[in-house]
Amino acid sequence: MRPQLLVRILLVLAIGAGLGFATSWAALRNGVAFDLVAAGPWVAAPRLASRARDPYAAAALARAGETPFDLAEGLVFVARADASGAKLDGACVYRVKGPTPPARFWTLTLTDQQGRLVENEARRYGFTSTEIVREETGGFEIVVAPTARAGAWLPAPADRRFALTLRLYDTPSAAAAATLQADALPQLLREQCL
Amino acid sequence: MPVRRLARLRAAAPWIAATLMVAGIVHIATILIMPEVSPRDAFARIEGLGPRATVIPIAPARPGRELSTFNDPAAAIAVCRYDLADGPLRLGAQIAGDEFVSFSFHTRDNVAFYAMTDRAALRGAIDVVVYTQDQLDSAEAQDPEDSAPADRRLVSPTREGFVYMRSLASTPGQAEEAAARLRAVLCGVEGG
Repeated sequence: MRPQLLVRILLVLAIGAGLGFATSWAALRNGVAFDLVAAGPWVAAPRLASRARDPYAAAALARAGETPFDLAEGLVFVARADASGAKLDGACVYRVKGPTPPARFWTLTLTDQQGRLVENEARRYGFTSTEIVREETGGFEIVVAPTARAGAWLPAPADRRFALTLRLYDTPSAAAAATLQADALPQLLREQCL
Repeated sequence: MPVRRLARLRAAAPWIAATLMVAGIVHIATILIMPEVSPRDAFARIEGLGPRATVIPIAPARPGRELSTFNDPAAAIAVCRYDLADGPLRLGAQIAGDEFVSFSFHTRDNVAFYAMTDRAALRGAIDVVVYTQDQLDSAEAQDPEDSAPADRRLVSPTREGFVYMRSLASTPGQAEEAAARLRAVLCGVEGG
């Protein structure tokens, strides 16, 4: 074999492998998954606990070490953006309001965009449906802000983007997740920013 | 000049195509193999918490103290890891009140093959036995002819696996109560 040819083959293998690893790493880091259900800014992966999940979801899950909800337990929605599509920013004030799909309980949790809880002086990381005083319409309102607010205040990290997780425990919507419309889920409305 | 450039491009095209093909194969292979080789998947994390066939409570998720990402700080969690080579696994819980408790049964590679909530309790109790197919066959062979088994029988697709338990504290004041509900769950090798 001519040395020049050997060098070319080695280059093809090395660059190819490098590209392959880089794209895999990027896909896992950015949470690429194909069987997601979106309703407005809320995204769910209802088949994450099942054998039918896609290979990207399975790989990301193995890396994250999470134990996802089975549909019999409930359904989990994550939002990383507000109603307008802008990323949730800890320096801004958001009003989370409106309906939740029928469920025995729900909880709303604030984390960073990677899903880690965020330290705050109030030691408030989320709300449960029981804690929230419902309006007569059956809706609720939570204010997400970096500084204390009256009412149901969920502290946000002023220096970072964040994510909100809505967990519906024991919900008849689990099997019909794909048909949920944005107006069945809480609205994420941005108010002023610091 | 442009003609020469075109010729060079044509000569390089098969090499570029080969590079992309290698990249594609490596990409697909790494994604597919990740669940097999990840040293930090859910089972590995649970394995590090303690022995198998016993209920292991996991401290409530707080900043900097989380077993993984995306935890509900309102839910108490416990796990019970099993290896059916020890024998079938029996899980028993008394259910009282209307607080949410769930049990999901996961394979070694974190596929939930069965899940139930407190609503599935019969006469205030949840009684489940996890078998391999062979263990279930021999258990059924020993069953009395005319009575239905009193427990729910599951076949685990993998020899190893774990039960993941969630117990919701509907207010922060009920966190201890929620954790206590899981500590009271019995999980152990059948007949062991």
